[in-house]
Amino acid sequence: MLKGVHQKLEPQESPAFFVRGPSPFSRIMFFCALSIVLMAVDSRLDYLSQFRQTFIAALHPLEMVANAPSEWGLNIRQYFTAHSRLLIENQALKQQAVEHNVMLQRLATIELENAHLKTLLKGNAPMIPKAILGEILHMGRDPFSNVVVINRGSQHTVEAGQAVVDAQGVVGQVTRVFPFSAEVTLITDKNLSIPIQVERNQLRAIAFGEGKSNTIDLPFLPTSVDIKVGDKLVTSGIDGVYPAGLAVAKVTEVRQSPDSPFAKIISTPIAGVNNHLQLLILSMPTPAEHIEAAPASAGDATAPPVTATTSIPPAKPRKEKPHASR
Amino acid sequence: MRPANLTTVLLTLIVALTFQLYPWSGQGVILRPDFLLVITLYWVVRAPHLCNVGVAWFAGLIVDLSTGSLLGQHALAFAFTAFLALLYQRRLVLFNRWQLSVYVFALLFVERTLVLILKLFADNENPGLSYFWPVLTSIILWQFMVLMFGAPTRPRH
Repeated sequence: MLKGVHQKLEPQESPAFFVRGPSPFSRIMFFCALSIVLMAVDSRLDYLSQFRQTFIAALHPLEMVANAPSEWGLNIRQYFTAHSRLLIENQALKQQAVEHNVMLQRLATIELENAHLKTLLKGNAPMIPKAILGEILHMGRDPFSNVVVINRGSQHTVEAGQAVVDAQGVVGQVTRVFPFSAEVTLITDKNLSIPIQVERNQLRAIAFGEGKSNTIDLPFLPTSVDIKVGDKLVTSGIDGVYPAGLAVAKVTEVRQSPDSPFAKIISTPIAGVNNHLQLLILSMPTPAEHIEAAPASAGDATAPPVTATTSIPPAKPRKEKPHASR
Repeated sequence: MRPANLTTVLLTLIVALTFQLYPWSGQGVILRPDFLLVITLYWVVRAPHLCNVGVAWFAGLIVDLSTGSLLGQHALAFAFTAFLALLYQRRLVLFNRWQLSVYVFALLFVERTLVLILKLFADNENPGLSYFWPVLTSIILWQFMVLMFGAPTRPRH
């Protein structure tokens, strides 16, 4: 009889001595499944951008705390070096301003003349983009992508898809917008492409970022293509994102390999992303807006003198989700 | 070794997050230790009743959000690393400090590799070997953690 009881009890497991909740294995299974679902949803669907924005906004105070030491450091350094440097800089800027003013006087007349001629030809009025000045907060935290984060966000009417330039040329494109900051993907990023034109002969092509090496690639052009080392590449403006005529890159290498039907053309960006902090975020006016605004602002000297002669509706991001693959 | 309480755990995690959010640039980005991962691992080994796979997963999610990478990549890697730590947690506390460091070093390496694989699957570019530098800086951070809060191993009698 006793033996029978033992036989009944034997298959039962004794209760755990330590109460530790679910086993690590069941936990990791649950969270693995959750992460995989999240990754799938985030890469294929657009549901999570709102969540991301809310979270980044909530993180803003902590980010400010984290930014504080480097800002203090910068301020202190500026306090000690500023005076003499500012004097020199002021001198240079004044001189530049005079030079620019002379150029702008000519520009105003030329623009008026151009607008007049365009109306005579019934062409499109030039589009003059509005610009917001932003400052780089930090280079992206992700070693896998070439992005910078700027201190202007949706609160300052920045939108995803806008072009970002500096004094020398195109820097990149706004790809994600948060309330107080925005993520700018640089033109050297692997996922960014930009329609360009060779300034010398108006040849159109599409430039792709190379990624790590900080260069820009012009793929799929035949070996006989008329591009030389030193050629300047400018935006062609046919995408409606970048205004036409902005400097993008300078060709540094043209290579023809016998085993490939395409020339290997490498160019380096003109904009100095690593050199200074200020950037301009351009917004292309919608067609209706620019027809109204163009005659009034044709002589407006403050707007960057860039024009786009295109009939494609502008102000549209290149892709709905420029970073869908990340 | 004082018993850990929840406030300490949360506070250290928030401090780690602040360090993570510091605007690292240039060489800093390459060498930056995985602050949140190291702190999470420390508490997973020392106080698994307070900091478990769930907390690690959430910390990873925050890293995903702050770096702007695909949601769930770091979360998965963090959770898996915490799982590996938890699996042998009762044995780990019997190790001495240097044996534990070696194990943690392996864990940090596993996390980096896992993130790399997930990123490459998601069509990111290969960042090269310098991507593994943070494993070294992270293990240094671990030693700091041990100095400040005590080794998470059992004291010898």
